[in-house]
Amino acid sequence: MSTAGTAPLVVAERCAIVGGGLASLAAFATLRHGGVAAGEIVVFGAHADPTEAWRRRAASIRQRRMRSESDGHLAPAAFPGLALRAAWRTRSPRPLADTVTRGYHPAVDDFLAHADAVRARCGWDASFVRRGVARIAAVDGGFEIDGEGPFAHVLVATGHPGLALPDALAGDPRAVHAYEPHDYAERVTIVGAGMAAATEWANALEAGSEVVSVRRREPLRRPLNVPRPLFSRRGLASFHRTPPEQRAALLRELGAPSYPPDARFDAVLAAAAAEGRFRVTAELNGAEQVIAATGFRRGFRNDPLLARLVDEHTLAVHDRWIVLAPDSTVPALTDERRTLSLAGVAGQWAFPAGDTIAGAKYAARRFLEHVCRTR
Amino acid sequence: MSYTLRGRIETRLVAALPALLVAIVLHRWWAIELVAVMLLVGVLLDAALYDRVLAYQPGWLAVPLGAFELAIVYLTVRALGIPAPLDLALLLYGIAWASAQLCSHAALPRLQLSYAEAGGELRRPGVLTAIAVPVIVVLSLGAAYATRAPTVHLHGTVRGPVLIDHAETLVGGTIRGGVVIRSSHVKLRHVTIVGGENGIDIKDAKHVLLDHVRVIRSGSDGIHVRNSSVMIDHCTVADPASAWVQGIDISYSVGRGMSMVSNCTVAGVREGIVTHSAEVDVMDNHVIGTSLRGIVLGEMSMDMASGNEVEGAQGVGILCLDHSMCEIKHNVVAGTGVDPNGDEARAGVAIEAHYYAQAEVADNTVIASPGGTRAFDNSTISSK
Repeated sequence: MSTAGTAPLVVAERCAIVGGGLASLAAFATLRHGGVAAGEIVVFGAHADPTEAWRRRAASIRQRRMRSESDGHLAPAAFPGLALRAAWRTRSPRPLADTVTRGYHPAVDDFLAHADAVRARCGWDASFVRRGVARIAAVDGGFEIDGEGPFAHVLVATGHPGLALPDALAGDPRAVHAYEPHDYAERVTIVGAGMAAATEWANALEAGSEVVSVRRREPLRRPLNVPRPLFSRRGLASFHRTPPEQRAALLRELGAPSYPPDARFDAVLAAAAAEGRFRVTAELNGAEQVIAATGFRRGFRNDPLLARLVDEHTLAVHDRWIVLAPDSTVPALTDERRTLSLAGVAGQWAFPAGDTIAGAKYAARRFLEHVCRTR
Repeated sequence: MSYTLRGRIETRLVAALPALLVAIVLHRWWAIELVAVMLLVGVLLDAALYDRVLAYQPGWLAVPLGAFELAIVYLTVRALGIPAPLDLALLLYGIAWASAQLCSHAALPRLQLSYAEAGGELRRPGVLTAIAVPVIVVLSLGAAYATRAPTVHLHGTVRGPVLIDHAETLVGGTIRGGVVIRSSHVKLRHVTIVGGENGIDIKDAKHVLLDHVRVIRSGSDGIHVRNSSVMIDHCTVADPASAWVQGIDISYSVGRGMSMVSNCTVAGVREGIVTHSAEVDVMDNHVIGTSLRGIVLGEMSMDMASGNEVEGAQGVGILCLDHSMCEIKHNVVAGTGVDPNGDEARAGVAIEAHYYAQAEVADNTVIASPGGTRAFDNSTISSK
């Protein structure tokens, strides 16, 4: 096993995970669950704590509840879910009753505490190397990562390639991205119509601010990021058969901002609107603070590592997506002896909800199958 | 969860395994048949309905779907005439339902990480298990068919007494001299018995069914049951050989399970339907012209008489006797005659509790019975 830090690796590892966030932890835990020794895996990441980046973003928008449900956790097996754990911890059947009626959304604190437990249990820290990765190169017998290796199996889970800020707000001193720490001024303009924007409307109203929502379209109301059948083979089978152009169109449509239907939330907005504290416009106004709840930059071209990987290996792409096999692997670089797999938002070509915990696990479980196949 | 059709069916088959094992342990053919019906109904619904209308199935839907399937399974079991006791059948269904929930929400997601993503479709061990379940069911049904009790069709008149000492079904015909049953799982259907000491004599047997039997000119009891459990339905006992003949006597059978006498006509005997130390439901019978009592629930029995018509009994219509606990409801007792011996307890009493008996009565109709409803010798009668 290599030691954590920046020393050259002694390559006993067969597997490498590039990226040190939630998807990476989910993949690591899945490999460990599947019987892969910690000494066979190395994880390259920027943060020692895999929840750090996500935790900071959630704290910035003061997110208290997850959009995901009981099985939205990082442990390899869906059961037991967070609802059962909460019921056990609180000695209350309420979380179980809520999850049966799809009304259970874990508290962010519970999710993070469980993520910490998964991290400790699977031995993540011993396999983690704090290092950014600039290049993955296919070589005989696997892949070199910044010249080290080869690793037979590599899973890339580098996450979203940065925050998206509208050009009009670039350099504007009033502007802050929703996923960066901020407070609320007396008059706040919030740009966007997705989950982060909705959370920010509520936050700002709760802080006593007057809110202007700037958006180009009415928000979509969806319980989850994508329709539920697309989380299973029922919907995925036809998705995988869809021609590239249609598949890209569907992914673009699914990428539209949305947040879950919630009557209580709607009532809060309606009450604020009646008081003149909430209104909607299409253009920015002269507010003293502008919060860009505009999500992340999209497409592999915004991720230098993926862009270089595509260019150097002439990988198939379509629009802003790297073309993947249904099991989330890169077909041109995957065979019986080696695997290159993409997890997270980069894996959307295989799993439309790739940027969710379910998406991270989807890629991880199939990656495990490849790893185990070559043992 | 968003199941694929294959996922639904595989999950259903694997989840049926505990119920199937229970059915095998119960060692009753009805249990295997019930599991087969549950699987058949479930798979048909999966293919014809659920897969088409449920792109996504939330957890709470398991409750209404479970009730819906239970209703269909119940009707199918009734239509096929599977002799499943309701309580055990419900228990078996409950096991199957609970096991389906545990499998789909806990066991299978735990054992197969990608269970939900696969739409419920299972990997090789699961598929093999899913195949094994219907194979076991079919083999069991085949075994049940191959080892089923033989059916003997009688034609014309047979000289008796006929002794039945192994499980079998006797259908049709006339037997002179009575039938003696000494084995469990015996069925008599549409048989006429003429004469004999007892028309039908049953001892030390369980699960005996008398369906549409006719007993005439017996010398002692029309149907005589000891230490046994029987189902007697649509029988006729009439034309006794002497004034001392009883119609149906089920006695000393506590601990052998419930017996039932229903839809029978008993006429012209000394006592119509009698129980002693037994657990019997006496339902919807017509007892006519008895010379001692119409229906007797006696001697520490725990019985129920409901929906019966007792007509023209001499002395007593329905009697709860000797430390028995009786539920007597929805009966019609008419024309109970006064016994000329002057005994107050036989003075045309329609419904009577006697000698430390406890009778609970409700919604009975008493017509032209001068003794009415009465309790004697430290007995009680309470109304619901």
